[in-house]
Amino acid sequence: MGKTDSPTEKRALTIIGFLCNWCSYGGADTAGVCRFKQPTDLRVIRVPCTGRMDPLFIARALILGADGVLVSGCHPRDCHYAVGNLYARRRLEILKRMLPFMGIHADRFHYTWVSASEGQRWQQVVTEFSEQVGGLGPNPGVTSFHTGNREEL
Amino acid sequence: MNTSILSELKKQAQQAWPELDLLIGWETGYDTLHTTPVFIKDSSEIQRLVWNPFCAQNLAGYLVKSPIVPRGEGSKKIGICVKGCDSRSVVALIQEKLVARDMLFIFGIPCRGVIDLRKLIPNQTGAKILSVRLTDDQVEVEHSKGLQHLAFADVLMRKCKRCRYPDPVIHDVLLGESVLPRIESHELYQDVAAIERLSLQERLAFWQTELDRCLRCYACRNACPLCVCQDRCIAETRDPKWLTQYMNLPEKFMFHFIHALHLAGRCTECGECERVCPMEIPVSLIKEELNKITKELLDFEAGLDLEGVPPLLTFSPAETGI
Repeated sequence: MGKTDSPTEKRALTIIGFLCNWCSYGGADTAGVCRFKQPTDLRVIRVPCTGRMDPLFIARALILGADGVLVSGCHPRDCHYAVGNLYARRRLEILKRMLPFMGIHADRFHYTWVSASEGQRWQQVVTEFSEQVGGLGPNPGVTSFHTGNREEL
Repeated sequence: MNTSILSELKKQAQQAWPELDLLIGWETGYDTLHTTPVFIKDSSEIQRLVWNPFCAQNLAGYLVKSPIVPRGEGSKKIGICVKGCDSRSVVALIQEKLVARDMLFIFGIPCRGVIDLRKLIPNQTGAKILSVRLTDDQVEVEHSKGLQHLAFADVLMRKCKRCRYPDPVIHDVLLGESVLPRIESHELYQDVAAIERLSLQERLAFWQTELDRCLRCYACRNACPLCVCQDRCIAETRDPKWLTQYMNLPEKFMFHFIHALHLAGRCTECGECERVCPMEIPVSLIKEELNKITKELLDFEAGLDLEGVPPLLTFSPAETGI
């Protein structure tokens, strides 16, 4: 991802959004239906529930050079499957705290809760996260010393 | 002191033998510096057992991995020798219902630490060790380039230097006297704290340099007593296909993320992953960091309480701070 881009070239951000089918995906849809202006950097992957989120999905995206990863699901206690997001928030929080130890900026990952009716909140979440990731610049990913661009790091 | 523990171990093993099918312990390996796991299936073999500071292997993994003995109706217990750290792995396996407590007969040995063979000859001089003599706090190494006296505390494995549980936390018989922990609990995460003090760029560079050496031999995974997926390990399955066979840095990072994240809240810090790494990568630092996080966030320490539930296998609706 973005490896062929020259460092000086301004490029669009690649932000991966994992949205739960029942709340946040609906929330994003609501934002669209209401014609709220949103950043276009987000690529949405729909998951059945945030309980489906393997923290490795996020780790893999960031290792390979995604600029940011956003996970959004139903509010705690509102999960379509009752408890999926309660499992998820432990896993996601542990991952978020562990990323900086491995040299990956914790601000490149964000998880939050947006319900299907919260179109406005969705707009705000996406806008803020895009700005936050944009401020960090492109993610070089984990490149090899021998083949990669160490100077850029 | 070690010899008295050993004779006590043999005596207790002999006494317990009518209850046992199998006893897992250590025996002398191909030279006096190396011990190797031994699977005793007959009481006449009990005298093969050894106990000394070279008994580094964590035997708990054999309870759930090959060569495990088939269990059936009427089978008797498995005897297992454990150090303090190994006993925590046994507790973790019982917590996750991978082994049953009543299936085990645990010989607990309070441990003063095990020796890191890499520290016996410093600076990679290539000298060949001829003999090693141990006293209470000294190690006398005779090698092809002379005689060397080392302090016992200096040649310990890193995990032993930060050992909080030298006494087995679970046992049916306890052999020898209780040992005091080497450090206070607030000193436990000094090694990860040293890395946390680096800048983000330096941390990334540190792991890039370290993990670049990784051969992906998966020895760390194979030695880990809690990596129990075996043939279903996602590092090797084709479906789902998480990793390719390319030897590049992202794949190596990914493998270590898989290993560490699958141990989040489960790792008992037995240090086997780090001991078996042929490239001397400090891989258990990643698991220590995760343990530090689970301790701070969820107040959980793996492998201490038989009734405990690993924190990522459960949840609490009340925790709003997360």
